[in-house]
Amino acid sequence: MSKWLKENLWRHATALGMSLFALFPLYLVVISSLNPTGSLQLTSFIPRNISWNNYKILFNSPAIPYLTWVRNSLVIAGAVAIISVFIGASSAFAFSRLRFRGRKTGIQILLLVQMFPAILALSAIYVIMERVYRFAPSLGLGSQAGLVLVYLGGAMGVNIWLLKGFVDSIPIELDEAAKIDGASAVQTYWLIFIPLAAPVLAVVSLLSFIGTLNEYILARLFLVEMNSRTVAVGLQQFIGGQYSQNWGPFAAGSILLSIPIVVIFLSLQRYIVSGLTAGSVKG
Amino acid sequence: MKNRFLKGIAVTAVLAFSATGLAITPARAASEIVVWADETRGPNLASVIKAKGDWVPGYTIKIVTYSSFDALKDAFDKATGTSGPDIVVGGNDWVPTAAKSGKLAPVTLTASQKARFNPTQFFDLSYKGKLYGVPVDINNVAMIYNTKLVSSAPNSFGDMVNYYKANKAAKGLKAGLCIAGGGMSWGAHSVFSALGADAYLMSKNGAVNTVQSFNPSIFGANVKKYLLTNGKSNGFFPATDTGCKDNFLAGTVPFAVIGNWEWKDYVAKGFEMNLMPVPGVVDGTYGRMFGSVSGALLTTFADKHGVAAGAKSLLVNFFGSTEGQVKYQLLEGRPPAEKGAQKDASVSAGQKGFGSAASLAGIPQIGAFLNNNKGGANYWDSAPAYWTAVLIDGKDATIEARKLAKIWKTNVATGKGDL
Amino acid sequence: MTLLFKGKIALVTKIILLAGISAILLMLAQSALARKEYAIALFLLIAVLAMNYVYLTSRTVPFKFFLPGTLFLAAFVIAPIIFTLIMSTYNYKTGNYISKQEAIQRVIALGVEPDEAGTTFDIVVGKTKSGELAILASDTTNNKYFISTKSERIDLNPADLTLNADKVATGAPDFVRSTSAQQASSDAYTKIKYVYEGKYFISVESLEAGAVFRQTLEYQPSTDTFRNLLNGTIYRDNGKGNYANLKKQILEPGWRAPTWFSNYEKLITDNHIRGPFIRVFIWTVAFAVLTVLTSFGFGLLLALALNKPLRGRRMYRSILILPYAMPSLMSILIWAGMFDTEFGAINNILNTHIAWFSNASFARAAVILVSLWLGFPYFYLISTGALQAIPSELLEAAAIDGASGRQIFSKITLPLLLQILSPLLIASFAFNFNNFNLIYLLTGGGPKDQLGGQIAGATDILISYTYQIAFGSNVQDLGLASAISVIIFFLVAGISLYGLRKSKVLETFG
Repeated sequence: MSKWLKENLWRHATALGMSLFALFPLYLVVISSLNPTGSLQLTSFIPRNISWNNYKILFNSPAIPYLTWVRNSLVIAGAVAIISVFIGASSAFAFSRLRFRGRKTGIQILLLVQMFPAILALSAIYVIMERVYRFAPSLGLGSQAGLVLVYLGGAMGVNIWLLKGFVDSIPIELDEAAKIDGASAVQTYWLIFIPLAAPVLAVVSLLSFIGTLNEYILARLFLVEMNSRTVAVGLQQFIGGQYSQNWGPFAAGSILLSIPIVVIFLSLQRYIVSGLTAGSVKG
Repeated sequence: MKNRFLKGIAVTAVLAFSATGLAITPARAASEIVVWADETRGPNLASVIKAKGDWVPGYTIKIVTYSSFDALKDAFDKATGTSGPDIVVGGNDWVPTAAKSGKLAPVTLTASQKARFNPTQFFDLSYKGKLYGVPVDINNVAMIYNTKLVSSAPNSFGDMVNYYKANKAAKGLKAGLCIAGGGMSWGAHSVFSALGADAYLMSKNGAVNTVQSFNPSIFGANVKKYLLTNGKSNGFFPATDTGCKDNFLAGTVPFAVIGNWEWKDYVAKGFEMNLMPVPGVVDGTYGRMFGSVSGALLTTFADKHGVAAGAKSLLVNFFGSTEGQVKYQLLEGRPPAEKGAQKDASVSAGQKGFGSAASLAGIPQIGAFLNNNKGGANYWDSAPAYWTAVLIDGKDATIEARKLAKIWKTNVATGKGDL
Repeated sequence: MTLLFKGKIALVTKIILLAGISAILLMLAQSALARKEYAIALFLLIAVLAMNYVYLTSRTVPFKFFLPGTLFLAAFVIAPIIFTLIMSTYNYKTGNYISKQEAIQRVIALGVEPDEAGTTFDIVVGKTKSGELAILASDTTNNKYFISTKSERIDLNPADLTLNADKVATGAPDFVRSTSAQQASSDAYTKIKYVYEGKYFISVESLEAGAVFRQTLEYQPSTDTFRNLLNGTIYRDNGKGNYANLKKQILEPGWRAPTWFSNYEKLITDNHIRGPFIRVFIWTVAFAVLTVLTSFGFGLLLALALNKPLRGRRMYRSILILPYAMPSLMSILIWAGMFDTEFGAINNILNTHIAWFSNASFARAAVILVSLWLGFPYFYLISTGALQAIPSELLEAAAIDGASGRQIFSKITLPLLLQILSPLLIASFAFNFNNFNLIYLLTGGGPKDQLGGQIAGATDILISYTYQIAFGSNVQDLGLASAISVIIFFLVAGISLYGLRKSKVLETFG
């Protein structure tokens, strides 16, 4: 018993402590969302009156097209996730497997460019998309397609380490065997690398999906029409003006949005761990 | 290899030119007037415009609604003539900076159009002698008191403090007076003023004293006397506005400064509009409140889009007309700026108290002074900073008041050039 | 499956795809040209050419992989960066916002004054018989009516006119009124100065009204100066984006003018800007380092704790990665609510009444706490992976040699972990260095001692400080903010590059 204690007590204590820390805010959002007054003020930590009122507001209020917002977010984030994972994966493959001049400079530039504080570049992006709007309104300012294009600007660099680490971990012998069979680099990529990388690709697209869902600064400038907004913009607007009053609906909206993501995350847990690990280990 | 390359080009070219018929789709029609507004005004404007299509014959009007006032400002700051609005419905404090940057265009009204408004409202929307829009709605605040707690209107600031101290424990009061509308700078000016600190001093004829500021010793002494006990906040006046509205509605705060744009929320909870200005330290005096207008502002983009005349007509025929303001404010519920609309019974019912409070103790909100930060910080930032410093951080009320007076004095002295 | 990537079918698919995309891009390029967006059209054309070259020949195999990403990168990352770089050398701020050409037009448009009475007329827009644009003006109080064009004014006899109920003339002989559709489709009539009296002219103020003005400022293109027509004062280009007279009075609006390194100079020489810049820089580094250290520390601790089969390990893991899975925008706003003074759960639990975001130390602590909450799950995950990657033989050998658990950890495990994870630690540092969302949504950079003249808040990091300068208030200075952005970039890039070199990561690229 004492050996068990010595071995395992600190492990449980650490895990339990951090779990409580992780859960605490989440628990509060859940009870806030069930709080009938919808205010930030909590009367007790154990909910006494449970009400679905906050959820009803989300679905019934004509001023809050919550489902449309969610759909917009899913469409935009989904498109970005899928396209960017291919862009990222192909760059990572090339950086890892192909020998060419300027390879080292290339990846350095790619890394450094991402460190540019993008907040100010917003003005420039705004002006570029304003101009695109002049000749192609469906791709310019105000369009979801335009926003997707802008988000794809970062597709190549964002998860390059993770992906490159994974490619590095695939035995080079596989490529060589393929080469002997007469496969070109492109064929090796599609036929060998992509199928092998499926788990890490899933992880990377999930990460970029969440990243896109979170973005609101560009989204609120771009998606002006009520029905084209994303859920991040919509929910932020909720508590923007009247912080304490709209807390309940905000909490409810956050939970509804988080549930599917958390579910996907947990079900892909194994892959996420191995994906992040592969990416990190080979560095 | 070369063969393939050429083949590809050929196919591409064929496809490209077969598609050119669809290519050019103009982004906006030549006769479209685009109006930008925030999340509450936008939908209401859109439905009023939709109900009557010919506010300006020959033009179509498109309302673009942003998700918040901040997002609207953000977008207007970044917009250029390419996609920018022809008219933007914004705050009067946008006027000096946007006009200075060449984003707003002046409008000239005829005598009869001018007669529809109070001259100080034009002052709010002017920069260096030129008018940049028409007033749409009036924003002001007034103090409401809860008749379930206090039976009659207080005569002085001291009355309120005494009530709070006497009933704090018995009635479970969370505060005595708090700011529910307008924030700790704009909304709280009446409290500053009641205790002796006006943002700028004005003579009876409306001239601003650009040399003197308020007296920080008197103000500091008043803050100590009424808001502090042993150098710490006595709880009468909270330094932030969070939760004030909730607390007032819940009956745990007897007095609150509320904004005229949300009176319906109070009526809905069964409160009567018992409104007055914040009483001063001497019986019969009052703390002065800002009254400001939101305006429909004409941008220079309208000229670039070739709709300048149409946009100006929209300003006078819709935004600045009795009919337009009545129809719009029926939905929006703010007090209209236009005199004819103010008289309209359907609009003015909830707004009477605010109007009479403003007539007792209103002062114009002069952006040239309040937005100026030559003194180190503008009014909007320095005012809440005072409450935080004194009521939360426990700094000396008089020393901080001297700093505040110095900042405001410099802002007024250096800002008069922008009048 | 293989067929898709080999042989004829692959070739045909490829050509169709390429042709389709090229067609769309060419079409867009053509529309862009038609709208005179030359830069965008050029970019699209280059994209089409590059695409066809890369995918139809085998000369650049790597670019077959890089091209799509590179095009997006160029359009939406590189181009804005170049824009920011250029803007950092401009006097680009409130009051100096538009181009010089626009500014001249605006000064001319604003350089008018009404006559003393502020005379206005009811007008009707139309054309004279000869087809010249004209207005039919009515002075209803004095019963005076006239037609005016850019060259002449013809007074009319009221008896000849069609008047409406308000006595406004709506029709006159030899005058053809424009339809509303005509007015809406062309605004040429608004650009004309219609003759009135002497120097005074009438300008169209809306579709129904005109006002009397005279020009007070005149532009002289040959000397690039403005002259005040009333007193003769000359205003010259002062090199900073304004026309100014000898007394340094300027005409508004100004324009964004190239001033080379003046923004950078301001950063170094202007005490008002340099002071907070240094203070903010120190806090930014402290914040980024503390966040990485605490998150990594707790993440590693957890990874070590859960690095062996343990009852409930799966459940722990599921709970522990929740903060990573929650959209961070929501979680930051939720934390902001929890720290609220009046209603926040934290004060509620501690039974305190702390104004968390009004006190510098409390606010900083809160920021670190939230960034720890957001960051530790990620480090837990990658530490777990890295721990598994350390060859167990190494640890066993050390144990056989008699090393204690602590020694093994500090001499073998930790150095190896650090080596493996250094690129991710550096990336995380760079991310937190620019973690705008966290600061902006949680504290807004505050608290700030406004009365003490501070312009940067206690929790402001460089990027939120820059945002404040660029967009945050009524008075904006985009030029200065761009210069700070460039400096931030060199700082972060320098630190990261140094770290990467040090960690020898780049050497995997041979």
